[in-house]
Amino acid sequence: MGRLRVKGKAGAAKNYTTRSSAVKKLQCSLADFRRLCILKGIFPREPRSRKKANKGSSAPTSFYYTKDIAYLAHEPILKKLREHKAFAKKLSRALGRGEWAGAKSLEENKPIYRLDHIVKERYPTFIDALRDIDDALCMVFLFASLPTSSRLPSELVENCAKLAAEWQLYVMHTRALRKVFFSIKGVYYQAEVMDQTVTWLVPYQFTQNVPSDVDVRVMLTFLELYQTLLSFVFFKLYTDVGLVYPPPLDIKKQDDGAGVNAFTLQDSSRPPMIQSIAPVTVDGRQITGKLVRQTIKNIAATLESDPESADVDMVNPEPSTDETNEEFVPRPSNSDKTINSDLPTLHSLSTLPRSLSTSLFSPYTFFLSRETSRGVFEFLVRSFGGLIGWPASSGSGSPFDESDPSITHVIIDRPVIQREETSEQRELRLRRKYIQPQWIADCINAGRILLEEPYTQGKTLPPHLSPFGEYEGAYIPSEEAVDNGSVSNIEEEDEDVDAEEESANEALNTAIVAASSDPAALRAAELAAEAAGVDFGDFEAKIKQVSKKQTKMPKTTEKEVESAEKDMNKMMMSNKQRKLYEKMKHSNKKKESERIELESRKKELGKQKRKQERV
Amino acid sequence: MPGKDVGRKSTKRKQIEEEERAQTEELPADGGLEMLSDEEDGDAASDDGHVDEFPEFVNESSSEESDYEEDEEEEEEEEEDSSEAGEDSDAGSDDSLHVFPKAKTIISDITQQPKIVYPEIEPDYDSDSSTEDTPNRVGDVPMHWYDDLPHIGYDINGRKVLRPARGDELDKFLATVDDSSAWTSAFDKKAQAEKPLTAEELDLIQRLYTNENPDAGYDPYEPTTEWFTGKGKEEIMPLSGALQPKRRWVPSKWEKQKVMKIVRAIRQGRIVPSKPKTAASKFEAYAIWSEPSSSNPPPLPAPKPALPTNAESYNPPEEYLPTEEERKEWEALDPEDRERNYLPQKYSSLRLVPAYDRFIKERFFRQLDLYLAPRVQRVKLNIDPDSLIPKLPSPNSLRPFPNYKSLQFQHEKGRARCLSVSPDGEWVVSGDEDGVVSLWEIIVGREVKRWKFGGKIGALAWCPRTDVSFFAVGIEDTIYFVIPPNIDPAVLSNTQTALAPATLPPTPATPSPVKWETPASSAWSIDTPLLTINLIPSSGLPTHFCWHRKGDYLASVSTGGLQSNVWIHQLTRRHSQSPFKKIKGAVQSVLFHPLKPHFFVATQQYVRIYNLAEQKLIKTLIPGIKWISSMDVHPSGDHLIVGGYDRKLCWFDLELSEKPYKVLRYHSRAIRSLQFHPAYPLFASSSDDGSIQIFHSRVYNDLMTDPLIVPLKILRGHHVVDGLGVLQVKWCSKQPWLVSSGADGSLAVWCS
Repeated sequence: MGRLRVKGKAGAAKNYTTRSSAVKKLQCSLADFRRLCILKGIFPREPRSRKKANKGSSAPTSFYYTKDIAYLAHEPILKKLREHKAFAKKLSRALGRGEWAGAKSLEENKPIYRLDHIVKERYPTFIDALRDIDDALCMVFLFASLPTSSRLPSELVENCAKLAAEWQLYVMHTRALRKVFFSIKGVYYQAEVMDQTVTWLVPYQFTQNVPSDVDVRVMLTFLELYQTLLSFVFFKLYTDVGLVYPPPLDIKKQDDGAGVNAFTLQDSSRPPMIQSIAPVTVDGRQITGKLVRQTIKNIAATLESDPESADVDMVNPEPSTDETNEEFVPRPSNSDKTINSDLPTLHSLSTLPRSLSTSLFSPYTFFLSRETSRGVFEFLVRSFGGLIGWPASSGSGSPFDESDPSITHVIIDRPVIQREETSEQRELRLRRKYIQPQWIADCINAGRILLEEPYTQGKTLPPHLSPFGEYEGAYIPSEEAVDNGSVSNIEEEDEDVDAEEESANEALNTAIVAASSDPAALRAAELAAEAAGVDFGDFEAKIKQVSKKQTKMPKTTEKEVESAEKDMNKMMMSNKQRKLYEKMKHSNKKKESERIELESRKKELGKQKRKQERV
Repeated sequence: MPGKDVGRKSTKRKQIEEEERAQTEELPADGGLEMLSDEEDGDAASDDGHVDEFPEFVNESSSEESDYEEDEEEEEEEEEDSSEAGEDSDAGSDDSLHVFPKAKTIISDITQQPKIVYPEIEPDYDSDSSTEDTPNRVGDVPMHWYDDLPHIGYDINGRKVLRPARGDELDKFLATVDDSSAWTSAFDKKAQAEKPLTAEELDLIQRLYTNENPDAGYDPYEPTTEWFTGKGKEEIMPLSGALQPKRRWVPSKWEKQKVMKIVRAIRQGRIVPSKPKTAASKFEAYAIWSEPSSSNPPPLPAPKPALPTNAESYNPPEEYLPTEEERKEWEALDPEDRERNYLPQKYSSLRLVPAYDRFIKERFFRQLDLYLAPRVQRVKLNIDPDSLIPKLPSPNSLRPFPNYKSLQFQHEKGRARCLSVSPDGEWVVSGDEDGVVSLWEIIVGREVKRWKFGGKIGALAWCPRTDVSFFAVGIEDTIYFVIPPNIDPAVLSNTQTALAPATLPPTPATPSPVKWETPASSAWSIDTPLLTINLIPSSGLPTHFCWHRKGDYLASVSTGGLQSNVWIHQLTRRHSQSPFKKIKGAVQSVLFHPLKPHFFVATQQYVRIYNLAEQKLIKTLIPGIKWISSMDVHPSGDHLIVGGYDRKLCWFDLELSEKPYKVLRYHSRAIRSLQFHPAYPLFASSSDDGSIQIFHSRVYNDLMTDPLIVPLKILRGHHVVDGLGVLQVKWCSKQPWLVSSGADGSLAVWCS
């Protein structure tokens, strides 16, 4: 006989702690517990048996690992939270007594906590942190666009805006952006930073109202952590590419609404004075023969009498570096290939395929129309090497104005209005291409410059598809649109015609079907056909068709037989396997039905359209 | 009467005083007193039984009225006295309250020096000493010793001091009212009487009462007398001659060090006076990942939200837009139940896209998911579901097996309950519930002969012997043995001798309740049975027959009756016996082992295997079926299949455990009948769903290989009538053909 076991001393009963007992153990309020959980990334667990974990009670509660709670109990922030509680009491007492000086000194010595150690704990390596910044970016971008209120202090919103700008600057600088998607919720961006894909969602520029049923405290706690995390991540990202972090902020520009341009990217290896003369930063990671190229670039930059780069006083390294890159990058790689063509180096591999797509817009100069969102398109165009200008109503700091002759594309989002224009304006208009904003996103997602024609001003746009793809076997609208739609419709019509004929000659057909195998019967059928007044050629054709069908028939029967066999073999499955099989089949069927429904709807829409066209 | 009372009381006091006086005067006269007290005691006892009562009251109550006036006068006198005394005392208090008379200072005649002369003390009645001396001289003894005595002590001369008269409570009260000095008097224990307090005593009490020093002569504000200090009395010499320590007059070094530390800190700016702590700790990023972290593995990252699909686009393809019904359906659903948290919408240009109103809410829900939702790691199965289906050989490679219905035979009325195929595989007998037994050819399906019995046909079984040809028909309580027509004469004679021998075998010692009957040879005809076995009455319809392979024994199971009973009939001995005295559960089916003298009995839930030779139970099989319907044993005798009404089919390997080797459930309704093919590796099962399932069942000789079971074909063709489908299936022994009988009254032959 084994040792007697006392109930509730081992196993699930000991490994799990309910939330209320955890709060009791930590001796803090529930709000503080929540805050701790958010900061430390502790979340409830689902025990295999709730009853066993809760000492026989099946009351609904959430469970935490006891070890997690013990881990929380050692958290220095917990101490700080307690201190803060004491501080709040002292402060309220001082205020109640009217001891203003005491209250002021208390407020000055308010206990605050730092989250550095938590960031380090939760993300031991930089890659871990980078992998997890999606939510952080979403939150920061959201809060950067929120109006300040008593619950949202202006410093917080400012800091969020700063972080958002820093991230955008980094992505633009390193050309890390890969995909963009205009959805009904906002704009999804996907960047590839250090081989990690980072996706974030930015709401459209409207005033967001915080709904009343949202707990802002929770969001602010998350934001607290996210701000710390992002500033550490950005520090590392900036310093890795040789930039100064935090980038210096020009307050005057910011007040003018320069947005991202209010920040200056500074090369950490040089003092800022030289920076202003030769506005070139170097992507240190990318280059192997760094020094040589740098000197060449410097010479090129100083010699260059490009008015754009000269009058852009903010450090705008992308165009110049990129142009130089375009000149220089292929050549070394070519020479590499000629020298040791058999062994592709890491450098050649990493630079070659990307060089095209990351500098997608570098040959073009864009101008934003007034109604388009400057923040979005400035980010997009500059991330892909393009130059962009905007009217003064969209903010200051535009490198050129509307009359600049170098403008190749105008991003415009309004219907065409006929109006009188001077010959000069006309000339300008004809020289430029007026495209709708979707063109930018579709070009980026396609990785090449698309034809501008379907996207020109006033045209009905082609559908904007998600660049992130769908699950395997899902309905793909673009393919269907190209080939399948028209073909299948034609087939269908043919079938309609066939059906009519078939009903007329059904009797004969059956005879033919019966006859096709047997020569004697065939002759009899021939006679019957003659009697019915069917042309011999038709008869021949029919015979052929029937024989074809018959050859097809066995195939179908074979399939049927196979499926029947499969059905029978299912008898031999164990119960467990059968259930699993049914489940998988169910989900597959659901996907399939979704796909089929979309396809059928597409067909229907196509038919309707054609009908309308005919009319 | 109050006035009178007062008068009486005062008279009493008077009397007591007078008596006292008298006593003091008459102290020498002893004997009279003694006598008096005795008398008094006796009187008191006789009067009212109170010992405490003073006798004086009683004795002199008669003279009360006569003394009344005198008393008043004396009282007045007393008052005067007391007033005089008060005046005296007042006068005394005025001269600094000297108890003694004032001393006079005179100049002595002799020495010519002033001397104090005290007045002479007159030892008279009024003098201090005489009044102070209490007559009672017992000393400081507890006075309660005298409680029940007439006296209260002794005077200086040793005479008894008699207890003064004490009034009752009423007197005491009256005294407080009448006597103005009563409140300044106190009870004197020694005298056992109220004594007025003196002026000094009253003064003392008053002082104590007002929290003053009780001593009247004490002056709290006396000028201090400087005995040791003051001018001219300064101490000049130190107390000890030790040297003063240095620390008394040198500043502290440590204090200086401490202060200097702070000073230095202030100078270097480490301590900033009134520097706010909060502002100092402004956040600044640094290279947090530059130093290696602890070896703890990082927590698993939270799952990322799903990426947006085409439907979320601001300008999706039109087919993604929901129809009106879909929109309504979506809106009717609870937000938690919705598959997507948005409805696809199409905008003609980006400028028209409005703000997404649930943006913050969705962010918030994402965060709730992050910190409130339990996370479970699941392994995602990424396999083709078809790979789960077991790979079995194709049925085409396992031919022959019955494939199609070659012919159908119809009974006009009633369900075709049972059938039997002749051992040569050419004939089929089938019985229905109408009592009709038809004999027909398996190849053409032509009915050759029809018998009509009075009642349902429960079971049919053709004798497996080839030298004879007859079959058993089971009807209510009876078993008939019938010879088919048109058989070889030799076989016919054999059969007749087998069923109705000329010489009956001797009857066994224990006669059976089952009776065997054969009609007289003159009455033999093709239409009537040659042999009849009458089972015990009300034993019910025999539902199952089973021949032993040698054709001598027939086992029958009747289940219709009150109790199910199993009989084994032996043809040669014309004897029936019940193998079991008592059996647990209702027997459903029995079987002879094809090779060994074993007997299988299926009750409702178990299958038991008995050794008939040794008369003992070998094994009990537990199929786990709720209600067994049928079973069959493999021709090799090592495997058994059991079918149940709960749709299960169990395959038992008899050499292995008593649990099934395989349980199959493929019929949608109850299994009715099962049979192994005697020659081919096939078995069939029929069910109430109207289908027959053919299996390939290969059994290997070596023990290591599991039997191979492959489903081959589902035969459909019988109709389901009243919830009953195919009631019985039987194999043709020579060909892979199957004969089935259905509840629709039809029989079908299935050929390969």
